[in-house]
Amino acid sequence: MNRFALGISAAIARVTESALGPYQTAVIRIGFTATWLLFLLREFPHRQELYGPDGPWDFDLAQQLIGTNGSFTALIWSSSQFWFESVYAFAVLTSVLLLLGWRTRTMSVLFMVGVLSLQNRSIFMGDGGDNVLHLMCVYLVFTRCGQVWSLDGRRARLAREARARGERDRPDRLGPVLWAVLGFALVAVTATGRLDGDLTVPVILWGVWLAQAVWWLVGRRASTAEPRILLDVVGNIVHNGALLVIMAEACLIYATAGWYKIQGSRWQDGTAVHYPLHLDYFSPWPALAELLSSSGLMVMLITYGTVIVQVAFPFTLFNRRVKNVLLAAMITEHAVIAVVLGLPFFSLAMIAADAVFLPTTFLRRLGGWAARARGGLSRLLRRGDDRTELPGPRTPENPEHAHVGFTA
Amino acid sequence: MDAYDAGSAARHGPDEETRDAPPAVASPPAPPAPVIPEPRTGVAALSLRYQVGAALALAVVAIAVCVHIGMVFLHVAPLNTVTKQHGKAIDDWIYPEFEQNWKLFAPNPLQQNIAVQVRAQVDTADGGTRTTGWYDLSAQDGRAIDGNLLPSHTQQNELRRAWDFFVATHDAQNRPVGLRGALSETYLRHIVQLRLDRANAAGDGGVVERVQVRSRTTNVRPPEWSDEQVSDRPTDRILPWWSVPAEQTGGAGGAGALRQAEEGVR
Repeated sequence: MNRFALGISAAIARVTESALGPYQTAVIRIGFTATWLLFLLREFPHRQELYGPDGPWDFDLAQQLIGTNGSFTALIWSSSQFWFESVYAFAVLTSVLLLLGWRTRTMSVLFMVGVLSLQNRSIFMGDGGDNVLHLMCVYLVFTRCGQVWSLDGRRARLAREARARGERDRPDRLGPVLWAVLGFALVAVTATGRLDGDLTVPVILWGVWLAQAVWWLVGRRASTAEPRILLDVVGNIVHNGALLVIMAEACLIYATAGWYKIQGSRWQDGTAVHYPLHLDYFSPWPALAELLSSSGLMVMLITYGTVIVQVAFPFTLFNRRVKNVLLAAMITEHAVIAVVLGLPFFSLAMIAADAVFLPTTFLRRLGGWAARARGGLSRLLRRGDDRTELPGPRTPENPEHAHVGFTA
Repeated sequence: MDAYDAGSAARHGPDEETRDAPPAVASPPAPPAPVIPEPRTGVAALSLRYQVGAALALAVVAIAVCVHIGMVFLHVAPLNTVTKQHGKAIDDWIYPEFEQNWKLFAPNPLQQNIAVQVRAQVDTADGGTRTTGWYDLSAQDGRAIDGNLLPSHTQQNELRRAWDFFVATHDAQNRPVGLRGALSETYLRHIVQLRLDRANAAGDGGVVERVQVRSRTTNVRPPEWSDEQVSDRPTDRILPWWSVPAEQTGGAGGAGALRQAEEGVR
């Protein structure tokens, strides 16, 4: 009993005093924003046909459908061409800024607005990849995903260093301006009845906006440190809860895909993989598909392997080493699917979701490579010019930190 | 977290080749002891009053997380005792923003190629009427996807999912079911109009008056090493002719307008 109580209190201490998985949340932030950004750039020539007011799923059809389900999309606020182009550009811009981790919390909300606006405008254009992004962009809002590998992280580090030198904090001028502008927009769209549909998104928008005001006020006005610490604790709790939801969501994706497959006769008789390879819509490389399915044993191994990995994955979370092996298998499989089935953005989104389970040591090493690659690149470009960029986490492996890895 | 950053910065210090980096990067050579840059945070630093607040937040978040994960689980689970009783509550929670479906290729992968094809009745410039041949739009999509590392959603999803949507919202006699049925019909018509327009099916001076859509379903042949036999004969589902509203004969969508603009220039 005593041990149980101790365990509980240790767990509570853990989820309240820090936002767990800083590297994991950063890598999924980068992964999902990069996926969406590349998608938007890829579809730029087709944007009118996909989401434009005069596309096949035109403004009128979208309005009728959204009238029945109340989903959120800013594109339904106006049928003008200018508004559409603006929203598309907004979606591109916010994904770049969130990728860089600039004003992460605000950008995560705006990123969500961009993703939902385009996707909900034309729901019949999407596939599984869009579905993953749709969910994850909402969950990301609740995480502190800019702790590392972000401009925010860099800003915080510089401020910390300045404080250590005894300099006074420079007040943040842009933050309040951004907050005021967005607040004005929020009041305007709410007052004109544009958020009258489903409550989920309006509640998130208003909630984050108010929370930021409270955060700012407490940071400046509170006479003792306690209110600020309390807010920090709440932020950690929300972050850790969202991180758990993201992980559970990834597990549910695999579990659903796996358990339903087990019931299918083709997955049972070991021929399932042959069929998607021969669907016109999923076979960009017919010769490759032919090669892959020429051997019955090969097809059977891939078929059974897929099901086993998908069904087993959630259970392997209880063992780090097995989990990492399966993770590598799944990331590889998705990379193969990207090319063989012609589903690059679906695969990218799934790999980004998988990345939440990557161990911290690996992610830190990855960050080190990236920083070195960038350092080398900028040296090449600037020939020994000053490099003031952040050093990037390039610490050698440190077993002490390993536990942050996969929070389980 | 803070400890990591400070740690990595400190360890990075000595490696710096150039000395013009921000001075603070060269924080005093870190002693091997753990660096604790900031006072302890978390509930331990709070007085009882604030601890109650933190506990409340923890309880609320814990409940929200459990409920959400539970709802998503029930949403993706097969029909069961709970979903039969509380389906409405689950749907209210999930729809519209948390809807999800991960059953691509499950329980069985699609084993048929479904080609959506269209033909048009055209009023020609000389006052006659002409019926075009069938345009195999899915085959066009398939060709566009062949050898393509980055297939567009317009090639891979648009027509395919529009047809799925149509089938799901129509009965066997091709009668629409509810509003979604009507929407899917208009949507499919817009897509085929756009594609006919791109193929210039109406010809110079012609106008598409009516369109007819059919699907042609062909079984994927079983693997060579299998002794299974399936029929090679395609099965067709032919929809009635649909009239094209006058204002849309230019073709739905930007492409139609675009092409007209180009023709205007010529």
